[in-house]
Amino acid sequence: MAGKALDDLIVVEFAQMVSGPMCGKMFADMGAEVIKIEPPGAGDEMRAHPPFPGDIPHPERSGAFLYLNTSKKSLTLDPATPTGAEVFRALVARADVLIENHPPGYLDSIGLGFDALKVLNPRLILTSITPFGQIGPYRDWKGSDLIEFAMSLTGYNTPTMVDDAERENPLRAPGRQAEMMGATAAAAASMFAIFHREATGVGQWIDVPCWQAIASTSKIEMAAYTYVGLPFSRTRGNVAVGLEPLPCKDGYIYTLWAADSHYVALKKLLHNPPALEREIFDKLAGRQANDDVLRPAIREELLKYDTEYLVSEGQRLGLTIGPVFTVAQAAQHPHLRARNAFVEIDHPIAGRFEYPRSLVQMTATPPTPRRAPTLGEHNAEILGRLGYSLEEQQAMRAAGVI
Amino acid sequence: MSRLPLEGIRVADFSWIINGPQVAQWLATMGAEVIKIESQVYIDIGRINPSGMADRIAGPNRSGYYHALNYGKKAITLNLATDKGRALADEIIRKSDLVLECFPTPAANKLGITYERVRAVKPDIVMVSVSLLGKTGLEPASWVGWGPMACCFVGMFDAQGYPGGPPRQTGGTWPDYAIASAVTFHILAALRHRNRTGEGQWIDASMGETVIGQMPEWYMDYAINGRDRRQRGNRDDRMAPHNTYPCAGEDKWIAIAVGSQSEWEALCRAMGNPAWTRDAKFADQYSRWRNSEELDSHLARWTRGHEHIALASELQRAGVAAGAVLDSVEIDADPHLWEWGFFRKINHREVGERILPNMPVRMSNVAELNYSMPPDLGQHNHEIFGGLLGLSDAEIANLMEQKVIY
Repeated sequence: MAGKALDDLIVVEFAQMVSGPMCGKMFADMGAEVIKIEPPGAGDEMRAHPPFPGDIPHPERSGAFLYLNTSKKSLTLDPATPTGAEVFRALVARADVLIENHPPGYLDSIGLGFDALKVLNPRLILTSITPFGQIGPYRDWKGSDLIEFAMSLTGYNTPTMVDDAERENPLRAPGRQAEMMGATAAAAASMFAIFHREATGVGQWIDVPCWQAIASTSKIEMAAYTYVGLPFSRTRGNVAVGLEPLPCKDGYIYTLWAADSHYVALKKLLHNPPALEREIFDKLAGRQANDDVLRPAIREELLKYDTEYLVSEGQRLGLTIGPVFTVAQAAQHPHLRARNAFVEIDHPIAGRFEYPRSLVQMTATPPTPRRAPTLGEHNAEILGRLGYSLEEQQAMRAAGVI
Repeated sequence: MSRLPLEGIRVADFSWIINGPQVAQWLATMGAEVIKIESQVYIDIGRINPSGMADRIAGPNRSGYYHALNYGKKAITLNLATDKGRALADEIIRKSDLVLECFPTPAANKLGITYERVRAVKPDIVMVSVSLLGKTGLEPASWVGWGPMACCFVGMFDAQGYPGGPPRQTGGTWPDYAIASAVTFHILAALRHRNRTGEGQWIDASMGETVIGQMPEWYMDYAINGRDRRQRGNRDDRMAPHNTYPCAGEDKWIAIAVGSQSEWEALCRAMGNPAWTRDAKFADQYSRWRNSEELDSHLARWTRGHEHIALASELQRAGVAAGAVLDSVEIDADPHLWEWGFFRKINHREVGERILPNMPVRMSNVAELNYSMPPDLGQHNHEIFGGLLGLSDAEIANLMEQKVIY
């Protein structure tokens, strides 16, 4: 049945913001029961983050929260209190995976570290997502998506093709990509641990640092240094074969002219203008050496044509070329519409709008996001299932435990 | 040696360059038998890219680009442009749990690596196609492209620029790695589904859609408010200071992110409480956020006098989230990455001692992932064609002569 590949798994998510919740969402959209533990009162800090409808903050209307928490159940709980810890242990005792993104040592400090939990449930997989990991000299450093991204070689190299290194400071990628890379690596590693458990019968503790996850995205650039001896430079001139958004008549296109066949196709696309018909440009080395002449000439020619012509005809000619859209242009693009890349989800307080559907598409068990929970929406259901009476739940509420 | 998670899973891996090989590398390091099917007819560009060649000496087994993405695997050469080559590929598929490919759609069709054909060979196969914008849909489904082009299509590079400026490019080939982790998770779900039900399936993964799913602030703002968010630079929705600042030396930077009043006070103390920090404009988080440009210029004047790596340690000791922007030389020497186990020294028979990054996870019950040496071109031909498919040495020699095993 659709979206149910993981419907026999129970996941407890004791996490806030992006890395842990995105990991939990991947399980939830695939059918796992994901119980999200939120701090009583304000809930997940992400609930306070924009975008909000009409820019008016409301804990049930954060677009980022709603997206990152689809298909989950919400339980408000403070595991740092004795009663809260008791509920937490009862939840974990029957869970397959516990996802958390607290600073290293925090779970231990409240008596809920891996050594304590594995006694309760030897099959438990504890997935800890942190900025820098559970060991090493930066273990206790404070992280943030900006910090982890900036420290990766990907961060040093963003944006690429810098003209003035003094003025153009390194940027992080749009969104929170270090945390996203931590989230998806953690989801994959948790599934590997599920396979491992099926063979061995026991769970384990997984350490996924967001910095290492985003640093991995510059693997080949790191290898270039140890193999070739070339430090990677972010300034223009290193990879002078295209590789940057270039303006055309009605927007921008993206292409490269590394292979000689690409260059021939590019010339043809631009109707073989004299400025490009020079022998010095025929071979890659010549194009790189004369980039300061070639690139302005190509730029000038591109301005004569629109995106539609350059991309459709360029692809037909064998050129690797594509359009540069804004998010609004992409969201309306017929190709993404034809693939149902977005899904409309209704939420009782936030309203009905379109969400990105899934990271990948699958034919038999597609990820199927359902609406995010309101704060503490499933308190009664979950506590009732654990055997807490209505009176006991009332007392927990009064004490601020839930 | 401890058991690896995916022992017993076999992968027929037709993928090349970056995103598919990174998926296969997740699976191989976790214990799957990954048979990387290459050919001299369409050699993996990673093997021949001149900018990765050890000591700039060309050779198919010398490329750092290939080594960084292909350890833990077995490599065979099989010419899929021949009928016999395709028949042998089918034999491998019949004995595999997973088929992986990342060709552009027209090339995959030509080589016969489509779900329709593969499923006919092995009905319960899980097949993964990783592509620019997906293999179904309209015209873009047939485009040739790579990671950065996916970012262009879905608005990522437009949003990457400096506020008000032209679109810019994120470093590396970032979406190739993003889709690899996402695909790996869903492959494992699909294999589990097959184990439980006997049903296989096709994972049609679009790099564009993975990137969309990783920038929810932009897409949800458009869906909710009809707003095109565009560029934000390093500006956060709430934090300030939140930027990269110049340090002593050429092109040296530090990132600083201040999220709370106590962190701000810690930063002020670290700077020696200069007079400007007492300005009412910077008194609380909202004021700092509103006046962040002025705040940034004050802060940059201070950071410029400091060495970036030392300053990051100093600020962290003071309780401020900070990190040095590290270049290739600095990241390779980083003590934390070495102690954590991010890097590994290899000693390769052709290129000698080199450093490669490991996978970014540690597992308490798996002492060491499968980090076997990146394979030479065709290194496992005898093992796979002889051992797995049962061909005799004479048959293998004959197929090599006919340029089928080639």
